[in-house]
Amino acid sequence: MSRDLCRLVYYSRNRVAGAPTAMDETIRGILAVSRVNNARVGVTGALMFNAGCFAQVLEGPSEAVETTFERIQQDERHGEVSLLALEPVEERLFTDWSMAYVGASQADAARYGDMAGESGFDLSRMTGDKLCAVLHGLALEEEAAAAA
Amino acid sequence: MAAALVLLDAGGTVTFANARAAALLGCAELVGLPIRSLPAACGGAEPEGAALAEAVRAGRSLRLHLALGDERLVETALTPLSTGGFALTFEDVTEHIRGAALARQEPLTGLCNRVGLHDHLHAALAEAARTGAPLAVLMLDLDRFKSVNDTLGHPVGDALLRKVAERLRRATRREDVVARLGGDEFAILQAGAHGGAAQPEAAEALARRLVDLVGRTYVVDGHMLNVGVSVGVALSPADGADADDLLKHADLALYRAKAEGRGTYRFFEPAMNAQMQARRSLEIDLRRALALKQFELAFQPQIQLETGAVVGFEALLRWNHPERGPVSPALFIPLAEEIGLIVGIGEWALRAACREAAGWTQAASIAVNLSPVQFRGGRLVETVMNVLAQTGLDPARLELEITEGALLENTDGVLAVLNGLRALGVRISMDDFGTGYSSLSYLQKFPFDKIKIDQSFVRGMEDNAECGAIVRAIARLGASLGMRTTAEGVETPDQLAAIRAEGCTEVQGYLTGRPMPAAQAAALLCRPVAQTPVRPATLPPARPADTLTA
Repeated sequence: MSRDLCRLVYYSRNRVAGAPTAMDETIRGILAVSRVNNARVGVTGALMFNAGCFAQVLEGPSEAVETTFERIQQDERHGEVSLLALEPVEERLFTDWSMAYVGASQADAARYGDMAGESGFDLSRMTGDKLCAVLHGLALEEEAAAAA
Repeated sequence: MAAALVLLDAGGTVTFANARAAALLGCAELVGLPIRSLPAACGGAEPEGAALAEAVRAGRSLRLHLALGDERLVETALTPLSTGGFALTFEDVTEHIRGAALARQEPLTGLCNRVGLHDHLHAALAEAARTGAPLAVLMLDLDRFKSVNDTLGHPVGDALLRKVAERLRRATRREDVVARLGGDEFAILQAGAHGGAAQPEAAEALARRLVDLVGRTYVVDGHMLNVGVSVGVALSPADGADADDLLKHADLALYRAKAEGRGTYRFFEPAMNAQMQARRSLEIDLRRALALKQFELAFQPQIQLETGAVVGFEALLRWNHPERGPVSPALFIPLAEEIGLIVGIGEWALRAACREAAGWTQAASIAVNLSPVQFRGGRLVETVMNVLAQTGLDPARLELEITEGALLENTDGVLAVLNGLRALGVRISMDDFGTGYSSLSYLQKFPFDKIKIDQSFVRGMEDNAECGAIVRAIARLGASLGMRTTAEGVETPDQLAAIRAEGCTEVQGYLTGRPMPAAQAAALLCRPVAQTPVRPATLPPARPADTLTA
């Protein structure tokens, strides 16, 4: 399985409009569907979201990642998709969960603000790997918080 | 061969079935069955039984398709007999129906093909004529698909086309028809009043979404692929009431979308028809212009600033059409490049210019423009060599002018041709310098003999300090690289003075000499060389259209 493992990182503009609660509901819907779909084909990763953008890491067998990404590309709830990385990897960064939603809490919002500030409020300037690392740290914290 | 036959009594009960009917329907015990139960007994659906029973009760004939359990389709005909009772005949049409469906399907993507689109369009137009509901045809053409095929191969290209097809299907409604017409061409028929979608709003919304969705990055086989899509839209009844007109008009709109930058959509406008016809008629005239000897060359003097002497001429292509009159090079050169005619026309211009220059009394230089298209055929060096041999012109007197456009694509290939030309002993100039993209890197890649500073900078010098700075920078750049610099488009004594101050070596423009017929150019060279600084020539005021070079 690890022989054909690849990682894909992208970010895109959030086009989900409406009040924060409606938006939260939509995002959780996306997450729930993704969890089921991705678990079935062995794709793991992390989804980061705020009112402005989505950022996501997908890891898994190349074909499954391609199929998953294609489904994401057809989703009109986001746009201006920038593919930051597509590369073969030895092992997964995100192994134990199918998808991790980061950004629901105030703490995460503050953290996300830091990251945007660090990169000059321009996500596109970040390299794929940096984004991946930041996503990973956030996802781990989220998991730890859920376990506590 | 006997037809499959079943006889019914007046009440609709089977009284007889021949062997063929039993075999076809896959049911041995047909006699005694009421007609209502017959389809179900053969694995078919209930509703067909009800329809047949209803026809029997009414005493009328009926023809319908019976879908059997094993997915076969049987055409069934019920006919009342004059002796009372009914005859039922059956014919297996499975292959026929499937074949017809396959003939309307495109195998790679499973979308319908051109024939299928025509069928759907005819049906939709007939329906629209009845209901008055508008419909839209969208023609789509992928941008940059060919380079995917060329660089990554057909298997990746095919996989990409399947993904594009999938996005088109997902972006459209069930009742829309999506077709692949071949290569990277697709079409969508947006018909029916379902959802109450109004035109042209619905077509515009779809076109905008398609440009977005199809243009998003694809991942195929580990490669990130980026293609775009151009869309042309025609509406019925506004843009045409028959299928051919609609498709043609959507195509014209697509042509416009591609001409205006690609990755966008355009609606058909009646003016496009007229413009396309004008273009077609110009193309027809252009294709025979060379044979009918309608081209001629004009020669514009190039003056050495230091001595004021005419040191050469640039040959400019002119097309005089008997009915059209003089046709602007800005109009016919791009067309000649698009349809490839520029290769033949360019070769004619080169030969005519060299022959003329070979007859001059002084060894002045002759500059001839080369189109980027002329570099593609792989025969340019050979052509120049032949022309030099045939005309006897000293290669050192020939200056070939290229624009940055020639270097934009396949730079290495073009540089190889330039080095081949240089090896013949001819000089190479960089034309229209400063208007392209990465001029400095090109200057480094090839040692041009001359840089021609674009006339826009020269004209801007009087009012705009930046233009002066650019001219100065280019002149100095040329001096330090050992390249001569020619300022183009000099029209006033003030411009000439400024050019001189900035250190250009040569000048070309209306002030120092307008384009002139061959005989006049030859005569100019017979005059004694002026040793005084350049003075404005006593010529009529400039006509801007004449400054277009070809």
